Amino acid sequence: MSPEPENAAAIEEVCLLAQTGVGDREAFRQLYDRYRVQLFSLAVRLVGNTGEAEELLQDAFVKIWRNAASYDSRKSRPFTWAVTILRRTCIDHLRKRRHRPGTTPLPANAEATPDYSTSEDGRHATETREDSARLLGALAKIPPNQRRALELALFSEFTHSEIARCLEQPVGTVKSWIRRGLLDLRTAITDSAR
Amino acid sequence: MNPQLEELACLYVLDRLDARERASFEACLLHNPQLAALVGELESALALRIRALAQLEPPAGLLAQIEARIDRLPATSPPAPAGRVASLGPGIARWGIAALLAVVVGVMALQYLRRVPAVAEHPFVIIVGLDSHRSTLAELPMPRRSQDADACFIQLASLAERFWEKPEDLPVKLRSTGEGGRGYALFDPATNQGFIAIQQLPASEPGQRFHFWILDTASGQTREAGVLPLTDSNRGLYFFSVAPAGEARPGHLDFFVTAEDPTTSQTTRPRGKIVLGDNTIF
Repeated sequence: MSPEPENAAAIEEVCLLAQTGVGDREAFRQLYDRYRVQLFSLAVRLVGNTGEAEELLQDAFVKIWRNAASYDSRKSRPFTWAVTILRRTCIDHLRKRRHRPGTTPLPANAEATPDYSTSEDGRHATETREDSARLLGALAKIPPNQRRALELALFSEFTHSEIARCLEQPVGTVKSWIRRGLLDLRTAITDSAR
Repeated sequence: MNPQLEELACLYVLDRLDARERASFEACLLHNPQLAALVGELESALALRIRALAQLEPPAGLLAQIEARIDRLPATSPPAPAGRVASLGPGIARWGIAALLAVVVGVMALQYLRRVPAVAEHPFVIIVGLDSHRSTLAELPMPRRSQDADACFIQLASLAERFWEKPEDLPVKLRSTGEGGRGYALFDPATNQGFIAIQQLPASEPGQRFHFWILDTASGQTREAGVLPLTDSNRGLYFFSVAPAGEARPGHLDFFVTAEDPTTSQTTRPRGKIVLGDNTIF
């Protein structure tokens, strides 16, 4: 995907959020249409089952409705803002779940595995396959330690200290790996788009 | 780019900064196009990673359930009014929490160069003490000013931070007690940016808002520098910026705060009573 359509989409989404912020239900529905698959997929990845993910996706979209007017386009893109709302919702849920009796506080080896499932169910076939292919190539260029740290930072509720424990590294090293992992991913993706 | 700032950018995009770090980073982000570009690229990478997950369609009836929940929300919790989104547009003062900028200041030291030619003409920062009767201006020489926009901002923010922590170091004396409000402002005429520190907000009528203004006493032109946030503590340190306006010399500038009625809050010139600053200037 070239940067131009991505920027054009982001501009449209800024407008949709602004309209949602003043109570425009149709703009909200359009946002839902744009984000539902990606956010639901992320929620499933974070909490591990579709039932809870449905509940959390509902919670997140109600928060998007209620907070749309406070969105500031200078601070983040609309999609990142929506992802942040969903991730926080899921992480709150996971941390509460973790504290319930009988649940495990922290997996002994909670290394996240990148998900490259090729299931066709509900897939946005072409674009997503292209994205996946680009990402596979980009991720392959990232050193494994950085990749693991980045995946845990993105797809788990763990704090930096917990990620450090999982990876048996100091927190500073883990932060550095997360930084390098994301920067390398950005560079690899940019290179592959050329 | 400074690795520390890069790390902050990554952690910001991954939502892994705490509230204070996030506020400081955002204050920095608003003034640094290079940093904003990096954040944008990191957001693209993040979005691509999420799109590359196994894409799952939520149940068909989910939107209807969400809308039913929205319909049940109390009437007092709808989206905020429309004006808020546009309230930070170009030419209007941008307010932000400036406290704790020291963290940002530390990591911004190696930022890229953006030139501010006007620095050579204005090797000073204006400091004004404000209380309910008067304003007291002083010029603080800045002999070793950089022409780098970020360095200027860092210098100003550092100064604001220092005076906030040690108001006794201010070159203008503030009333220490008494009724009414008090505060001070720092203004850099080279970059048209500044900080206003409110130590005590004046009492206000319900619905009133405090507008901060800069007056060119030679031309009579006023520039609105923003609306002071009302907080429970009645104090705070805030960043502002104004549109450039001709020559700026301490003898030709004055600063004041007015209490404006809600019906005139969209005004582009002061109409209400001066509550901080020289109340005889009009």
